[in-house]
Amino acid sequence: MVTAQLSLLLALTGVIVWAGDGAMVSLRHLYLLPTLWAAFASGAPGGCLAGLLAGFLQAPLVLPWIEGTGLTASAVDGLVALATPLASGWVVGHLRDQSRARARRLGALLEIQQGLARDGPLDLRLEEVAERMRVALGAERAGLVVGTGGRPAVVSAPPGARLDARSAMAWTLRGGGPVTSRDLAGDERFGEAEPPGPAPRRGLVLPLDSGAGRVGALALEWRGELTPGMRVAAHEMAMHLALGIENARLLLLQRRFALELEDKVLAATERLRELDRAKSDFLSVVSHELRTPLTALQGFSELLLSRSVPPEQARRFIGHLHSEAERLGRIVTELLDLSRIEAGRPEALRREAVDLGEMVERNLELFAESHPRHRFRWGPAGGLAPVAADRDALDRVLKNLLSNAVKYSPRGGAVTVTAGPAPGLDRMIELAVEDEGVGIPAAALPRIFDKYVRVPDPDTATARGLGLGLALVKALAEAHGGSVAVESRPGQGSRFRVLLPGWPSEF
Amino acid sequence: MRLLHAPFEAEAHTVRRPLLRPLLAVAVAMLVLVALGRWLELRSEALGALGRPLQGAAVHGGLIALGWIIALGGQPGWQGPALRLAAALLGAFALSRLGAWGSASHALLPLMLVWEGSHHPALRRIGLLVPENPRSLLLGLASGAFLGGHLLVSTSQTLGYAVRLPGGGAYLGAVAYDVGANALSAEWLFRGALFSHWWHRWGFWGAAVASTSLGLMRYLLDPWLPRTVEVGAGAVFYLAALGLCASALRAWSGSLLPGYLASLAFFAAYRMLVAW
Repeated sequence: MVTAQLSLLLALTGVIVWAGDGAMVSLRHLYLLPTLWAAFASGAPGGCLAGLLAGFLQAPLVLPWIEGTGLTASAVDGLVALATPLASGWVVGHLRDQSRARARRLGALLEIQQGLARDGPLDLRLEEVAERMRVALGAERAGLVVGTGGRPAVVSAPPGARLDARSAMAWTLRGGGPVTSRDLAGDERFGEAEPPGPAPRRGLVLPLDSGAGRVGALALEWRGELTPGMRVAAHEMAMHLALGIENARLLLLQRRFALELEDKVLAATERLRELDRAKSDFLSVVSHELRTPLTALQGFSELLLSRSVPPEQARRFIGHLHSEAERLGRIVTELLDLSRIEAGRPEALRREAVDLGEMVERNLELFAESHPRHRFRWGPAGGLAPVAADRDALDRVLKNLLSNAVKYSPRGGAVTVTAGPAPGLDRMIELAVEDEGVGIPAAALPRIFDKYVRVPDPDTATARGLGLGLALVKALAEAHGGSVAVESRPGQGSRFRVLLPGWPSEF
Repeated sequence: MRLLHAPFEAEAHTVRRPLLRPLLAVAVAMLVLVALGRWLELRSEALGALGRPLQGAAVHGGLIALGWIIALGGQPGWQGPALRLAAALLGAFALSRLGAWGSASHALLPLMLVWEGSHHPALRRIGLLVPENPRSLLLGLASGAFLGGHLLVSTSQTLGYAVRLPGGGAYLGAVAYDVGANALSAEWLFRGALFSHWWHRWGFWGAAVASTSLGLMRYLLDPWLPRTVEVGAGAVFYLAALGLCASALRAWSGSLLPGYLASLAFFAAYRMLVAW
């Protein structure tokens, strides 16, 4: 293209020389054509060069004319004609450069927005965007750091570049303003002397400020020229980049929030399903548990009413009636407790100093009588201090734990009860019940103290219960200001630890 | 990347070394030596032969010394090279009195300048290095040749000056003077020191216009330039074009060499004018 423009200029000069002085007047304006062509094609440098060349080519033709006639009106016209291609080339080329630069900037801004809105890791997107900005601004190097304070991250930088806490970039990130350097090699604000180069190295650090605050900083280095237009463009792009980063972050947060919400909704739905299943199971179990003693009560009472039964047999029947009535009473008590727990009304406790040892011993005697296959052991640690508890509630806690230990040790085995000061906790007593039963699978442990939960196990499938015992233990322990915990190994047994407050006068 | 790793102190004060004092000292020395040379030329029969060489050495040696001071930013270390180069210039000017072959000794000056400059890495800043792109050398030669050719066509067409073909002792002596003194000192000071210094501060156009204007002033003040309107106008036109062209070459290539070659090509054509 340059060759064509040059050829046109030379051809025009040839035509003028060949045609003589008369042609000069009319044809000289044609020098504008290749000049404007060059300006449109190559911008200000091309336009200026072509205009200059046109001037040089005309000069030997125009100057003798001026020399001959003096500085007449037509001579001035000739001089103006001499300068016109240069001026036109510069103006048109400059306008072309400006519009091209503006178009490039707009294109780059659009690409930046698109790049930041794309899917994928934000760091990678920012690296691409920084590179795009570097190219659009004609910079030699670009560095982009995102984040401020103690955790800035370099997302884009030339190979081997590192961020120093004392650098200009770090200064801007800490809240300083933009940094401009006319020559990085000779700028005395920078330490670590650098060998000078043949061209100035301009430097610019721009803070990336979004409406929500500073999100990072952008560093750019140029070799040679840094025009005011480029500086303005860099500021504009930095502003857009900051907004883009903020938007991308908000989008990420929104997506993360949506995912978390989805997970929570799924978990809650699953939990509701489980609860619904557990309630159905519970109703079935309750029906069964209520029907069994009722059937026994009905059967034995009918026998006693309809037949004459020998006194010995009648006494045995009445014993059965009594134990089934007690069982029915326990079920009703548990159901009442459950009702209180669900309504959020803790049981009114009458705290007193309770001798835990005496209570454990009494319960162990009762359980030992009714469960001869199990070996019950009791090991108080030293002089056991009394606990501050409601006697009935504590009794229910102990009975539930012992009942649980027996129920889930269907083949017998040792049931060990220990009590003593809780290790590491001031004024707390630890009561532990340990069995050698089937244990609890790890997956079931987090839900073991929930209501209606019964861990399925082939060995204990026939065990009776409403799945409320451990929920009651937890509720009662917490009502006392204590807690309950479990350790279990499937196939080896479980250990339940209840923490209860000691009686104040004993500490 | 310097902005990311170099320690930065926002409030650091720029230590400006005093440039004015050494520049003034060199300028005064230049004037004194030129005056002395002129006095010798006019008054002393015996030492008259030394008058002209002393003036030439004082002017061009002084320009080179000024460039050296600006290039080093006022730091010491310019005195030795400047004195040695001034002495070499004096020798070359004295030898040129003996004839064309004596003038050829001017050709040693650029080599000596490069050798002296090689001890100062800071002079890379003013473009004392080989250009990365060899095409810039060709472009420099072509630009100078174009301007020189245009000068010949234009002056022969308008002013009627005759053009002679290259050759002859006077022509060779003049070209040697351009190689070792005229173009060398102009490129060293105006494109090397001043343009580079101002380019860092004001950008290309400011630096190019300012350094070219000073270069023009230096030629217009030259007492040996013919005092006619057309020569003055021609000098302004062509030397401005040459200065801007050399500045562009310096900025594009990073080196002083293409601009120096452009000047040599231009002056080689200029010396073909019979009027000179």
